[in-house]
Amino acid sequence: MNLYAYCLGDEVTAGAVENELGVAGAHPRLVERAGIAAVVSEYDDEKIAVTRENVLAHERVVRRVLALTTPLPFRFGTIVSEARLVSYLDAQEAKLKEQLARVRGAVEMSVKIIWRPEARGNEAAGGRDIGTAGGSGTRFLLEKRRELLGEGALKERAEEVSAWLGRAVEGLVRESSVSLRPSENLILAASHLVERELLADYRRALGCAKTERPELHFLTSGAWPPYSFISVAP
Amino acid sequence: MADEDLEQLLDEESELSLLETLDHVLNRGLVIAGEITIAVADIDLIFLGLNVLVSSVETAHEVLKERQQIQSPKSEV
Repeated sequence: MNLYAYCLGDEVTAGAVENELGVAGAHPRLVERAGIAAVVSEYDDEKIAVTRENVLAHERVVRRVLALTTPLPFRFGTIVSEARLVSYLDAQEAKLKEQLARVRGAVEMSVKIIWRPEARGNEAAGGRDIGTAGGSGTRFLLEKRRELLGEGALKERAEEVSAWLGRAVEGLVRESSVSLRPSENLILAASHLVERELLADYRRALGCAKTERPELHFLTSGAWPPYSFISVAP
Repeated sequence: MADEDLEQLLDEESELSLLETLDHVLNRGLVIAGEITIAVADIDLIFLGLNVLVSSVETAHEVLKERQQIQSPKSEV
């Protein structure tokens, strides 16, 4: 029998999770080692399907812990023997405790900003109307120029939006992790590590900021466990 | 608003919430080397990456816009 691993922490108690239903309907329990408790449940397989049910079961257990303390969440699909898990906790004890201290008392908030389709087209066009100017060679070169200028303009725009967002939440965020233009339509994807006591202020600041930029679309979510603020090499 | 329209709005928001969850739990978090074993389900859900999430972001904007118009038809969005 394997274990499905949800998260770990140094302030987790069995009572917090034992009544929850995890993956495959199993009740979570703890595997404790050196002051760190891993939240796990029995799992009778070597792989797990990415289904709505399984993903939500994983998240449900981790959120149960998050309600009481900030854990380090495992990536979905972590299936391990108890012996392997104990070995991992032993080997990584110092790093795990360091990471737990890093995120203690905080949660992760997520902000994704996308272009309005017409705004992205204008940026990419670089202000030039190619139309039917010149022959096919000219049009090809103009198109290439538009691509290059457009890429540059998009990059500058993403950097400007990132700097603006940083100013909007300055003083309310312990750490930030920002990815610029992670995809064609996304200007940026930001993760903010926010003190629990500052969450209301953070949400207010973000709400005000959104009204300043009606040309942008925002997707904000959280509070999440600190998935993006873990740097423990496997 | 018709019940089926409201149901669709709620479904879209629920889908967006699920995609955000996927974006977090599949891409990030602690990893015990060699111990991530997932299989893509052919029944319920396939994660297609951020493109899917972005599509849902655009959908979410429309969902929220419609909801705001329902709640306060004269207000600007």
